Amino acid sequence: MEKITEDSTKNRGGFMKTIKRIWMYISAHKGLLSGVLLMVVASSFLGLLGPFIIGSTIDTHLSVQNASGLGGVLAGLALVYLFHSLSLWLQSYWMVGIAQESVFRMRTQLFSKLHKLPIRFFDKRQSGELMSRVTNDIENVSSTLNSSVIQIFSSILTLIGTLSVMLWLSPLLTLVTMTIVPIMFLGMKWITNRTGKLYKEQQKHLGDLNGFIEESISGQKIIKSFSQEQKVISEFLVKSQNLKQAGYWAQVYAGFIPKLMNVLNNLSFTLVAAAGGIFALNGMVSIGTIVIFTEYARQFTRPLNDLSNQFNTLLSAVAGAERVFDILDEHEEAANEKQATVITHLKGKVEFKDVSFAYEQGGDTVSHLNFRASPGESIALVGPTGAGKSTIINLITRFYEPVNGSIFFDDQDSKNITRDSLRNHMAFVLQDSFLFQGTIRENIRYGRLNASDEEVEQAAIDANAYSFIKRMPKGFDTELSQDGAGISQGQKQLLSIARAILADPSILILDEATSSIDTITELKIQEALKRLMKGRTSFIIAHRLNTIQQADQILVIENGQIIENGSHDNLLKKRGFYHDLFQNQIKKVRAKATP
Amino acid sequence: MKVLSLLKPYRIPMAIAISLMLVELAVELWQPLLMAQIIDEGIVKNDLNTVTKYGAIMLGASLIALLAGIVNSFFAAYASQNYGFDIRKNLYEKVQSFSFANFNKYPTSSLITRMTNDVNQLQMTLFMSLRIALRAPLLVIGGIILAITVNVKLALAFILIIPPLFVFLVWIMKKSTRLFKMVQERLDHVNGVMRENLIGIRLIRAFARGAHEAKRFFGSNQELMNRTAYALRVTEVVIPVLLLFMNMTVLAVLWFGNIEIQNGTVTVGQVVAVVNYSARITTAFSMFSWIIMVYSRAMASTSRVEEILITEADLKDGSTKLKGEDSTGGRIEFKNVFFRYPDTQTDVLRNICFHANPGETVALLGATGSGKSSLFQLIPRLYDPTQGKVELDGVDIRTLEFDHLRKQIGYVPQEALLFTGTVKENLAWGKEDATIQEMIKATTDAQIHETIEALPNNYEAMLGQKGVNLSGGQKQRLSIARALVKKPRILLLDDSTSALDLKTEATLLAALKQYKCTTLIITQKISTAKEADNILLLVDGEITASGTHDQLMEQSRLYQKIHQSQLGLAESS
Repeated sequence: MEKITEDSTKNRGGFMKTIKRIWMYISAHKGLLSGVLLMVVASSFLGLLGPFIIGSTIDTHLSVQNASGLGGVLAGLALVYLFHSLSLWLQSYWMVGIAQESVFRMRTQLFSKLHKLPIRFFDKRQSGELMSRVTNDIENVSSTLNSSVIQIFSSILTLIGTLSVMLWLSPLLTLVTMTIVPIMFLGMKWITNRTGKLYKEQQKHLGDLNGFIEESISGQKIIKSFSQEQKVISEFLVKSQNLKQAGYWAQVYAGFIPKLMNVLNNLSFTLVAAAGGIFALNGMVSIGTIVIFTEYARQFTRPLNDLSNQFNTLLSAVAGAERVFDILDEHEEAANEKQATVITHLKGKVEFKDVSFAYEQGGDTVSHLNFRASPGESIALVGPTGAGKSTIINLITRFYEPVNGSIFFDDQDSKNITRDSLRNHMAFVLQDSFLFQGTIRENIRYGRLNASDEEVEQAAIDANAYSFIKRMPKGFDTELSQDGAGISQGQKQLLSIARAILADPSILILDEATSSIDTITELKIQEALKRLMKGRTSFIIAHRLNTIQQADQILVIENGQIIENGSHDNLLKKRGFYHDLFQNQIKKVRAKATP
Repeated sequence: MKVLSLLKPYRIPMAIAISLMLVELAVELWQPLLMAQIIDEGIVKNDLNTVTKYGAIMLGASLIALLAGIVNSFFAAYASQNYGFDIRKNLYEKVQSFSFANFNKYPTSSLITRMTNDVNQLQMTLFMSLRIALRAPLLVIGGIILAITVNVKLALAFILIIPPLFVFLVWIMKKSTRLFKMVQERLDHVNGVMRENLIGIRLIRAFARGAHEAKRFFGSNQELMNRTAYALRVTEVVIPVLLLFMNMTVLAVLWFGNIEIQNGTVTVGQVVAVVNYSARITTAFSMFSWIIMVYSRAMASTSRVEEILITEADLKDGSTKLKGEDSTGGRIEFKNVFFRYPDTQTDVLRNICFHANPGETVALLGATGSGKSSLFQLIPRLYDPTQGKVELDGVDIRTLEFDHLRKQIGYVPQEALLFTGTVKENLAWGKEDATIQEMIKATTDAQIHETIEALPNNYEAMLGQKGVNLSGGQKQRLSIARALVKKPRILLLDDSTSALDLKTEATLLAALKQYKCTTLIITQKISTAKEADNILLLVDGEITASGTHDQLMEQSRLYQKIHQSQLGLAESS
């Protein structure tokens, strides 16, 4: 079970571009962000002020045993500490808000993007793999944003502060301290070159694993009845092992960072001490300066250390974010053409003019299709399985756009009509009846969101679904569990039909709408369907003859082409493919049905 | 706890990692002393030799620390990644043993988050624990001990303040564990809406309901955001509060220190030393907010993982096999079977009694929702009957090993479900070691061989997540082929030819006759049922009539009605 397509080959313009893009999300909250920045400055300042006051208090009061005024100084100190805590609290409080809000927007964008992508996109991907991007990948970004921004701010601030003091104390010793910086850069580069790649791999494997889990849980019925648990478990373990490998090396390398920094820290200290000693001998610096300087040199490496760690964390955020941006950058469903307008009314005339289409991966192909359906007509699509009937439906619904030729609705080129407004005038009963988690009422109402309860129930009555719904423990308010489990396939189709009835469309598409419904029930809803089809253009794929016979127009499709076209009687007279098909079946049914 | 017991195999690497961490910590504590030496003995006394000597020692020590740290990295990563791997493995194996009743309790999306996100939390926590987490408490304890050695009286302030702070930390941790559990639940929810949207994308598109779905997603997304922000904010209160209390303690030390100095019981140096130690303790404390966040997340995740691990799969595997495995006939018998779905009140099958002799074909006919598919699911034991029993060759199937039982059965469910992978891989589900000849035989009989041949890459053609690039009828035939590859003793066809045109269907059914297996077939069509040795007519979960076509034509009003309906459907106009 390999994944079909891989998008890791896509070049997204690297680290900085991604960081900039993440920054765009954060910087949308300019007010709060500057608040955070201000609080970071305040807390850093107050954090330094406290010890300073203590130092001078010891000198001015404790050492000289002067108790007068100590109370006042301590009260002032208490105030400093209070504001210090307050500024720390505020900065993290606001930052959490900014981070979560940014992540929220990222998720929302990802979700709405998915609804703009062409159906083709979903045909090739595992749902679970996509889900991983919304949860695991964005989670990476989220946990980084929460802590890193503040840390990076304050580290840079401290770095600048200490560096200026150091320069002021002794430019020469500062230079000595700086000798570790190139080593640090090289070391960090060596490490992050590895972790950066590994994080990406890790997220990819995690997505893979997520996809596999989703698919193998959804497919439990097959796994169990084929007793293939061991097989999927061992496949799972392979994927899990891949994830483990990437995760292992990412953790190992990332673990090197603080250790490396610690050695460099000590190295710089020793260098400063040794060089300071030499300089002092030459009288270039005073011993006091060296002592103070070593203290600062120690502080200098701390923010560097933090920055290195944060940089590494950023890499893991980038690994997650890139996978999110990959989706956000996907080409959308051949976006509505610029001239596309919203239609508010559709009579239901449909015309194909020399339409050709091919799936990328082969499969069904249709070529040079020409036909016209007048408003209110019913069109049956007949032909062997795989001849291209479903492809034609996909073209009418504009799940796919023709490669060549055009489709006209009410004499308007489909390119001039926005997809959503067109689909608002269509209703579908698809082969796989999909139901949402929710009540039966909600599922029927999906056809028209503002329908009243009475209208919903009337639609159920028309679809002959009313009696089985009424028998359910809570009737229309019965909750359907995930994937519509708990009711039979045929009942699902009845609900789909009710949904379509409620939608009140100009164009109706019935793709094997009654295939799982027993014939007596079908006879019963036949009337309703007939009523439903009246005054609407309908396209029907069915294998039962009478539905086909009653159609105004029959398109006989073979190998992606319309080979015959006409009414039942006309086609019989032609004595072509349809005639043979009909004769075969009617003979067979008669022979078998009459004792 | 099962989750914790999974740590056991990694005791040794964990112990090594922790000892190495202690080495690092020791070096780290030693370093300030060395530095002091360098300053006091070297720089101040202007003795370059001392500087280089202690400098070398310090660098040597830090190289040891580096070595310890690097080796620690390997062991810590080894333990945590393997731990994560083991949890995932245990979870997945458990989930594979779940019955459908178990599955109904845990939405797929939640199982997925538990196996990825929650496991990640645990794995991360272990890694951090093995590398740095111990450091903070040790630094606090060390700092207090050192402060006590300087002056007990002054250190008393810490001894007094630490217990309430500790209580505060525990309280926050408890609270945030609960909060993070809610965060994970919201994550499940977001995941769930996402999954539904991905699976139902065609329908959503078809009804142009993108905006409606976006609103729904917006709601659960917002919940997730609010919960996460709240939980994080609670844990991030820790630092400001701890700092405030520690700093106030320092003020107290100064205040009372001053009094004691005037009493002459304490020296200024001692006060300075205690204040310095307090600064160290404070730094260590500031790691606590992070530690608390990591641990409360981990605890939340632990309970979610544990919940799955301790779930008892409520379908118990049997332990016996049928004797003479290869010669068994495949006789199926239902004895007074009643069945209702878990957590529901009505029986969907009532008092079902029938048998199918080896090689016989039994057709099930009945209205939509009459219980045909439910009856089928009892045979490979996807569910167990609530009453009565199902027998295979005279043996209650509940006593048979799952594997053994299911190997005999070729089940073609109503919804053709294929997996991501090649055509060949999908066919091999039926029989792992099937040769290409066997596959072609099965696909030819299932009338799908020619279609496969026409695909690019033929049998190696990739199928999308649910074989989307095949039409409904093609998927059905491929899933029939998958069952045929198995050469099953019992073939269950659940309305599996509904999307086929009549001609293809007839050829397919004719080809099936050469398979010497007991066949149960659910169908809507009299023409198919008529070929069967026995026809069962199901009405509301009960068999109301059974017999051959001719017998039913005489005896059953309903059967006549169905017959009539199809004759009508076929001949009307």
